[in-house]
Amino acid sequence: MDDDFRFADFVAERADALLRYGYVLSGNPHDAADLTQEALIRLHRAWPKVRRKQQPESYTRTIMARLHVSTWRLRRRELLAWNLPDGRHLDMLPSDAEQGLWEALKDLPRKQRTVIVLRYYEQLTDAEIAGVLGIAQGTVRSHASLGLGKLRSAVVHPSTMDGSA
Amino acid sequence: MNDELAETLRRTLQHASEQAPRAPGGLSARVVTRSRRRAARTQMAVAALAVAVVAGGVVVAARGGVPDPAPPAVETSKTPSAGKVNPPATALWSRTAPPAEKVWPDAVWKIPAKLLGGRAFQARAIIDDRTVLLETRNGSGRADALYAYDVRDRTSRKLTDVRTPEGVVARGYTAGAGRVFWEMSNRADGSYETTFWSVPVTGGRATAIGTDREVTGDGTLAVVGGRLAFSASEGGVFTIPLGGGTVEAVPGAGAHHILRWPWVARSDPNSASAARYTELLNAETGEPTEAVVHPGEYRVECGVTTCVGVKDGVTFHRLRDGSRERLIPALVLNNRMFADRFYPLLTNGRPEVILRDAVTGKGGDLGLASGNGPLGVIADTPVMSRVLDMRRADSHLVVDLARIR
Repeated sequence: MDDDFRFADFVAERADALLRYGYVLSGNPHDAADLTQEALIRLHRAWPKVRRKQQPESYTRTIMARLHVSTWRLRRRELLAWNLPDGRHLDMLPSDAEQGLWEALKDLPRKQRTVIVLRYYEQLTDAEIAGVLGIAQGTVRSHASLGLGKLRSAVVHPSTMDGSA
Repeated sequence: MNDELAETLRRTLQHASEQAPRAPGGLSARVVTRSRRRAARTQMAVAALAVAVVAGGVVVAARGGVPDPAPPAVETSKTPSAGKVNPPATALWSRTAPPAEKVWPDAVWKIPAKLLGGRAFQARAIIDDRTVLLETRNGSGRADALYAYDVRDRTSRKLTDVRTPEGVVARGYTAGAGRVFWEMSNRADGSYETTFWSVPVTGGRATAIGTDREVTGDGTLAVVGGRLAFSASEGGVFTIPLGGGTVEAVPGAGAHHILRWPWVARSDPNSASAARYTELLNAETGEPTEAVVHPGEYRVECGVTTCVGVKDGVTFHRLRDGSRERLIPALVLNNRMFADRFYPLLTNGRPEVILRDAVTGKGGDLGLASGNGPLGVIADTPVMSRVLDMRRADSHLVVDLARIR
């Protein structure tokens, strides 16, 4: 019972941050909510063990990153437990450069995007990213390098990015 | 170009994240319901299989297909088998190292876990060149006594009892002027409050050190010329007489924290990369030094002479002036460096954690296994701490970093 209270505390405190992470990972609110819900369900099932290690957040974030690069979403089994607000998010980012980059990120293959997000949003080292995704550090570097290359050319030549990737 | 793109990316992701949907009320209850329903379904499926499968076969857990990370915290920073297939590409250090106590015999001591009748303890400070301060803890993990451990005779003696009510943490142990000093900080109700204490190194009763106003310590103390120096949790360096009295501010150090006296430092509030302790000040001479931080670098944290940080996904260390930069293409645990030169590397086999000296290039096996908890000690140790204490299966490995030459 005490475990349930602590789980509820964790969700109350961290769900918004996890949704923000899910949003930059996936680029859209539906997948962000999906990833967060699925990761929290898995966290709940492992809760007694994870809580003892006092790392529920990094555990959840690791699950979210791994889910995102997997084919999990293609065979999703459960509907979201809540309704997202209707309509698109129309807020623009503060500058054209940021808006351009955000759009360009959408064209990156999922693994490249995930590595970029882990590096520049989560601020992990390549060695840490390798651990989170369970891949070699050289693979992390090559995803990062390819992803950055595409983003750079998209920013320099905004019109040529459409449809590429 | 890279740096500029990295900075823009960081800002873009930060700003975009603010457009994420908010969690609905009662999310936890909905998640728990789903989780229980799924657990019940799995049980039913497994039970059905058990009935149907008479012989042979393997039951595969009815999961979504993505392996969940194993719970230990360090799992997030460990590469599985990939590293062993292709060592140069691995995130983990592939070299081995002799035991730390063999590499640095004058600075590393193995203390049996049963030393104090099996009571939990941790090395917290160095009293003199042969004595380590040990703190014992009660069942709730709160400090309850201090002991002096003689590393030559391998004997211990009790210095004093310590009373730490719930919510109070004892920290900042330091020795000087024939006494051991520490602070007791109450962090129970959000409003922190600190009292300072001391006991003679020969043992006796702990006495409180009165201050003429309320203070909040950050857990770093130094004994300096007949006074006790401390830094405040919100920044600011102060001194009081060893016996208590008026709190005096150290000029020019109003936002600083003690790293290693007389060096105090503060984080540049305008730094885009949230670099820590880049602005260094000699509290005795007033001489300031600013560390070099380039655009695009992040997780930068400086000690007195050295900074560590990350750029392009790789950990680096270099001197404060930006010179002698070295990249560490391996997993540095928590990206920490201790005492300006030692960093813990996670390896891809056994030993699992190597303490590496950036000055000599030597490495020593800390004898840790990731399955148990002592890696947390490394995560919690302040950057300029002199002592590392790693609890192993039947002993503690205590390292006095200042004795390594």
